[in-house]
Amino acid sequence: MTSQPVLSVVDLAKSFIVRRTFLDGPPLSVRAVDGVSFDIKTGEAFGLVGESGCGKTTVGRCVLRLIEPDAGSLRFRGAEMSAAPAATMKKLRQRIQIVFQDPYASLNPRRSVGKALIEPLLVHGKCSRAEACDRVLRVLDEVGMPAEAFNKFPHEFSGGQRQRIAIARALVLEPELIVADEPVSALDVSIQAQILTMLKRLKEARGLSFLFISHDLGVVRQFCERIAVMYLGRIVEIGPVPEIFDAPCHPYTQALRAASPIPDPAMRVGFAKLTGEVPSPSDPPRGCHFHPRCPHAMDVCRTRSPTPVDMGGGRRVACHLFART
Amino acid sequence: MPEPLLKVRDLTTLFKTSTGWFPAIRDVSFDVWPNETLCLVGESGCGKSITALSIMGLLPGKKMRRTEGEVVLDGQPLLELPDKAMRAVRGAKMSMIFQEPMTSLNPVLPVGLQVAEPLIAHGGLGRAAAEAEALRLLDLVRIPDASQRMAQYPHQLSGGMRQRVMIAMALACRPKILFADEPTTALDVTIQAQVLSLLNDLRADTGMSLVLITHDLGVVASMADRVAVMYAGEVVETASVEALFARPTHPYTEMLLGSIPRADRDVDTLVAIGGQVPAIDAMPAGCRFAPRCFLAEPGCRAAAPALMALRSDDRHQVRCQVRIAQAAPDAMRAGAIR
Repeated sequence: MTSQPVLSVVDLAKSFIVRRTFLDGPPLSVRAVDGVSFDIKTGEAFGLVGESGCGKTTVGRCVLRLIEPDAGSLRFRGAEMSAAPAATMKKLRQRIQIVFQDPYASLNPRRSVGKALIEPLLVHGKCSRAEACDRVLRVLDEVGMPAEAFNKFPHEFSGGQRQRIAIARALVLEPELIVADEPVSALDVSIQAQILTMLKRLKEARGLSFLFISHDLGVVRQFCERIAVMYLGRIVEIGPVPEIFDAPCHPYTQALRAASPIPDPAMRVGFAKLTGEVPSPSDPPRGCHFHPRCPHAMDVCRTRSPTPVDMGGGRRVACHLFART
Repeated sequence: MPEPLLKVRDLTTLFKTSTGWFPAIRDVSFDVWPNETLCLVGESGCGKSITALSIMGLLPGKKMRRTEGEVVLDGQPLLELPDKAMRAVRGAKMSMIFQEPMTSLNPVLPVGLQVAEPLIAHGGLGRAAAEAEALRLLDLVRIPDASQRMAQYPHQLSGGMRQRVMIAMALACRPKILFADEPTTALDVTIQAQVLSLLNDLRADTGMSLVLITHDLGVVASMADRVAVMYAGEVVETASVEALFARPTHPYTEMLLGSIPRADRDVDTLVAIGGQVPAIDAMPAGCRFAPRCFLAEPGCRAAAPALMALRSDDRHQVRCQVRIAQAAPDAMRAGAIR
C-alpha cells in the first residue's frame, strides 16, 4: 500500500503577460509552466531542477498560490486547494511554508529576529505572545542559532546565519511541506554544506517533506530522493535521483549532467556537448521544446510534443526516442 | 631555465575601512607559466579578485592601495610603472574579463564598435581595418551570424553572447595573459560549459596564459593546470591540479573539497566548516584559519605560517606549519632547535 502523497500537482499551467513598450510591439504571452504534474510523498525531498527561465520557481510559487495558477489541480493531503477560498488557504499555509534564495531580501531589515519569527504564530492565532517567545527560542536553537539572536536585527548576521533565521521562520508554524527555492545558491560552499546538513537533520527529525528547487545538480543529489528536470515550462524527465543522475534518459538531462562540473580532474569531460541557447519562452519551438538543441532530433520532434513514457521504476521521460509504437 | 610569464611576489594590498587600513590580501605569491591555466580559487571575500585587480593596476584608488611586493610580466616589473605606461601594458599584454558582462559593456554602443575600440587605441588600426578585425574576433569566439551581431547593442544579446563579446574585446590585442574573474558564474551550466570550452580552446590556439578566478572547484578540476587556493587574503596552498585534488594538504583545502556535493556520486556526509571567515579588521593572530581548523595547535595561534614547499614535491606549497611538520619532521625539528 502506498501512502497518500502530501502534495499532488496535476497539469499545472501558468502564463504571464509581458508588457512591452510600443516600440517592441504588442504584449506577449509567456507560458512559464505548461502541464506540469508530480507527487511528493510524506517525508520525501522532491527536487525540481533546470536552468533559469525553465519555470521551476513559478511552480514553487503556484504550489503556495503566491501566484495563481491558470489551470490544473493542486491537492494537499488529498484536499483540492487550487480553488480554495482565502480563509482555507490561510489555514493551509500554516502547513506549507517557503524559504527563498536570498536571505538578504527575505528578512525585514527593520524588524528584530524575534519579532519576525513570532509574527507568523500570532497571525495564525496559534498561541499567546509568551508561549510564542518560547517556541521561537526552541526553533532558533534547532537551527543552530544562539538565544541572543532573538533581539538582534538581520544586518548583524552573515548570509549563512540569515538563511538559518529564514528557515527558522518557516519552521515555527510546524509545517508539513516546505518549498525551498534555491535555499543554498547564494552561499559559499562551506556554508552551503552547513545548511544542507542542517536541513537534512530537520527533515529526518520532523518528518518534513520538501519541494526543493535548485539549478545545482550536486546539491540536489545530496538532498533529494526524487527529481523532475524542467525545460521551458515542461517536465522532461522525472524519477529517483541516483538513477536519473547515473543514467539520464532524456537528451537534455544528459547534457545538463555532462555540463555540470565535477570536482575531480580525472573527470574533465563533457564540455560544450550542447550547442545553442535556451529559446525564448515567449516563442518556444513547436513540437518538443528541446529539438533545436537536441543531437537526436527527428522529424516527429519538430511537430509533435512528446507525451511522457513510463520507463518503470517510477521513471517517466517525455521524449520521442522512448515512445512505444 | 625557462622563466615564468608572470611572477607575483609578496603582493600586499590595503583596504580602507572606517577604523583604518587593513590588508585585503597579504604576501600573495605565485607564478604563471606560458600557455598554462592557473586557477585562483576561494570563497567570497578571500581576495582573489583583489589579487587580479592589484596586478592589473585597476584598484579603486581612494579605498585601496598596494603597499608591497613585486609583479613581473614577461621580464618587465609592473608595480613601478607610471599610469600611462601601465595603460599600454593593459590591453596589449594583459587583459581581463569580469563576471557580469552587462556592467562592463557600454549599453549605448554597438558591440562591433566596442570590440574594435582597443584595436584603434592599442593596435593603431584605422576604423575600417579595426572593424574587419572585430568581425574576425566575433567569429573566433563563436558568435553565430557575427556580421549581423556587429551592429547590435548589448541588451539585444543573451548573457552567454555578451560574455563572448567581452572575451573578443579582451583578446583583440593578442594579450599574453588573460585574467578571467568568475567569467561563467552568472551563466547557466550548459552555457558555462560552452564558454569554458571556448576559453580553453583559445588559450591552446593563441599560446596565451589564463588566470581563471572562480569559487567553483568543479570548474577548477575541469580547467586548471595549476591551482592557488586563497583564504582570508592569503594563498594557503598551490599545486598542480592533480596533486591538489589527490593530496589536498592544507586543512582548509581538505575541508573545502569535502564540502562539495557531487552530481556524479553520493556523498555520505558533507564536511561543514564551522564558523565563518574572519572580518578584514578582525583577523586572528597567527594562522588565519586556526579558529576553524580541526588540526589547530597552540603554536598555530602564535605565529603566522609561511608558504612552504613540501619536500616530496617542490611545486606543491602549503601555508600550514602542522602539515609541513608532518611531511618533513626532521627539517622542522632542526628548525626548532636553531
